[in-house]
Amino acid sequence: MQNLMNFRFALAALTMIAFLVSWSGAGYFGMELLAEIAILGLLAMSLDLLAGYTGLVSLGHAALFGCGAYAFAAFTVLWGWPASLAMAAATLLTGLLSLIVGAVVTRVQGIFFIMITLAIGEMGYEIIFKTRALGGDDGLAGIPRLDLTAIGVDLNDPGAFALFLLLILPVVYLLLRRLLASPYGAILNGLHDNPVRMRALGLPVQRYQISIFAFSGALAGFAGTLSAQHTMFITPQLLHWTTSGEVLIMVILGGLGTLVGPVIGAATVTLLRHELSDLTDYWSLWLGVFLILVVMGGKNGVVGWLEAGWSIVRRGRVKRSSNDASR
Amino acid sequence: MLRAENIYKCFGALQVTRDVSLKIPIGIRHAIIGPNGAGKTTLFNLLAGELTPDAGRILIDGQDVTAYAPDRRARRGLSRSFQKNSLFLNGTVRENLMLADIVTQRYGFHFWSRLSDNRRARDKTSAVAEQVGLADLLERGVSELSYGAQRQLEVGLALMGTPKVLLLDEPTSGMSPEETGRMLQLIDELPRDMAVLLIEHDMDLVFSHADRITVLNYGEILMEGTPQQVRGSDIVHETYLGGKAAH
Amino acid sequence: MLTDSGFWFVQVLNSLQLSMLLFLLSVGLTVIFGLMNFVDLAHGSLYALGALSGYSIARATGGMWLAYLLAPLCVMLVGALLYVLIIDRMRKAGPMKQVLVTFGLIFVLLDIQRYIWGTDQLGVTSGIPFSGSFVMFGETYPTYRLFIICVGLLVFAALFLLLEHTRLGAEVRASVDDPETASCLGVNVERTFFVVFLIGSALAGLAGVVALPAFSAEAGMGVSILVPTLVVVVVGGLGSLKGAFAGSLLIGTTLTFGQVFFPSFASILMYALLVAVLLIRPSGLFPARG
Repeated sequence: MQNLMNFRFALAALTMIAFLVSWSGAGYFGMELLAEIAILGLLAMSLDLLAGYTGLVSLGHAALFGCGAYAFAAFTVLWGWPASLAMAAATLLTGLLSLIVGAVVTRVQGIFFIMITLAIGEMGYEIIFKTRALGGDDGLAGIPRLDLTAIGVDLNDPGAFALFLLLILPVVYLLLRRLLASPYGAILNGLHDNPVRMRALGLPVQRYQISIFAFSGALAGFAGTLSAQHTMFITPQLLHWTTSGEVLIMVILGGLGTLVGPVIGAATVTLLRHELSDLTDYWSLWLGVFLILVVMGGKNGVVGWLEAGWSIVRRGRVKRSSNDASR
Repeated sequence: MLRAENIYKCFGALQVTRDVSLKIPIGIRHAIIGPNGAGKTTLFNLLAGELTPDAGRILIDGQDVTAYAPDRRARRGLSRSFQKNSLFLNGTVRENLMLADIVTQRYGFHFWSRLSDNRRARDKTSAVAEQVGLADLLERGVSELSYGAQRQLEVGLALMGTPKVLLLDEPTSGMSPEETGRMLQLIDELPRDMAVLLIEHDMDLVFSHADRITVLNYGEILMEGTPQQVRGSDIVHETYLGGKAAH
Repeated sequence: MLTDSGFWFVQVLNSLQLSMLLFLLSVGLTVIFGLMNFVDLAHGSLYALGALSGYSIARATGGMWLAYLLAPLCVMLVGALLYVLIIDRMRKAGPMKQVLVTFGLIFVLLDIQRYIWGTDQLGVTSGIPFSGSFVMFGETYPTYRLFIICVGLLVFAALFLLLEHTRLGAEVRASVDDPETASCLGVNVERTFFVVFLIGSALAGLAGVVALPAFSAEAGMGVSILVPTLVVVVVGGLGSLKGAFAGSLLIGTTLTFGQVFFPSFASILMYALLVAVLLIRPSGLFPARG
């Protein structure tokens, strides 16, 4: 276990270095790509908390992402709030909404839970789609970015904004790692592993499930506020099931329950999407095929494959050193 | 102290528990025996809250817990082990016991503290591991353990919360004689402020270690008494042990 | 409006017709869920396939009759392929993996359908049986929609007879109830699963081709019908014919009358119903296994 944690941490550090190196040499388009990767990385990590660690697979997670984006947009564009206040308020609001949705949705388990999250995600999409005040299917434009001019940073510069996002990523990652190393994190893992025994030991299971739903939803909402600031224009597509699907694919591709995997998955899927959509209109097909192959393939995504390779290397080293010792 | 009063339960047309009453005071080791299908594990599920009785009451220390879900009963001091191992297979022995500690000591909502720094929890898990004979295997992954060792952990998990009422469902099943001996010693050494109810098939264990025995057959109580009384009972011998009692 | 019997006549028939389409889709899905414990999100895509292949067959043969026959068969064949390649291998893999795999299938089938049939709406205008309309309560109503209702009711009757009075039906019911015991009693549970999956797929295809003349077809239709179908399955109760029928009626009526009284928010009503059922009776109205 300890070895795994260290391996993943090393992987995370390497990934971060790769991002920063890319940033230092990136042009405009590269900056935009890195910004997108950072935001989706946050969103994917939030879904990993829910699906990977706690075992609650949500097919409607994008609705919370979109909720955060739309709340931020409404607060700033429609009500004229400063971006900093709007970010906090939107994140809180999404967390609250996730709490309420979680309270309903955790009343069922297994396949019912999965189906219900799909339905509620669609409900979120339709509500936004049909609300004229939020722009309907035309979307909402003119969204401002956070004002950091007080410390001499202009986030309207794509490079500055991309770096800003890239620095948020490791901060959140470290916070989540700390969370997962706490008693709460152990409970989440236990809930995934054997909820019956947890209940028999005295855990009020639903209470904990609701709490992680709320927390992961709040994080998704936070990612949403960043996304709104990135594109400065949002549409209901943010809440659509296809967006939920893409995030889930990122998590699966990277490796469920690894925290660093989803970030790697986000980078991979985003890069692939940009490359492949130049080549074909049928990008979704490849996404689907990818997902099917990774799930049926038996290993836990990219991180799973890397870890398997790493343990082979380590076993080889141990064998060699014991051979040397026995001579 | 655990008390069950006139418990009835049926699944559709099948009556699995009929008018079962039990009283297990603190300090008593009470065994439930009976042929396969007699409804022993069903009774445990009714006592633990996995099943709700159709009629009757269940009380822990005088408190009516009949309507309580399993987790609520556990928080009232009831703890059980399962006939089929119900462990956290993705963790180590220590991680399993730590989890039980977090749940029973109710610090699951601590977001910031590091589990690895918790001295008290580490000492307690070491102590319980020692008690169930797993002290050398604390850092081993549960899925790598032998069946007997897993069985020991199964009981260990139930012990972590220092329960008032302990339900052990066939604790020695699948164990070697040496492992069984160790489990018996453990049961003997359990604190006397605990009420212990166990389901067992091993007759030697039951007759030599239980203070009282309830014999179940087709969901009904055939008889209840001391080991001597049960061993000397003709009815029990005919239906369960085979043949007449040796008088 | 509310006292106008013509209004009620039209809306009741509309809700019955939507209910019957939902029924054809949900009955296959609920038995697959209830029987195989398998989460098949790609079911809606089979509905789209039924409509789209029905469109092609109708255009090639000049009429719908062959389409009604051949489209469900086509879909059944695709279902068999999916079963052998993917479904059977993922049967024991647990709900999460099944969801992910069939979710991926949605993407795949969607793009394949887009590739073959394009992204436009495709309609059939000739060779439609029952294409006239009739007048009742002062309202003109398309006869074809009555046809849809009849198909649904016929299928319900046929499935009822199949389940209650044939050996296969008994095997299905036994396998839903308790697959281990059924297997011990000699029921070939594996083969039963396969047959159920085939029938479910064929029914989804039938729903698509029957809906085609009334609603036209396009590649995305499978996804838009998926969520109401899932809601029907949850509300009606897992694994039962009665549940699928009752659930379909309830949701079909909610959506139809909701559309009339609260035009933009009809589906919100459906979600509200779903939430209410989850809070009060999570296992649904008539689950096969209480």
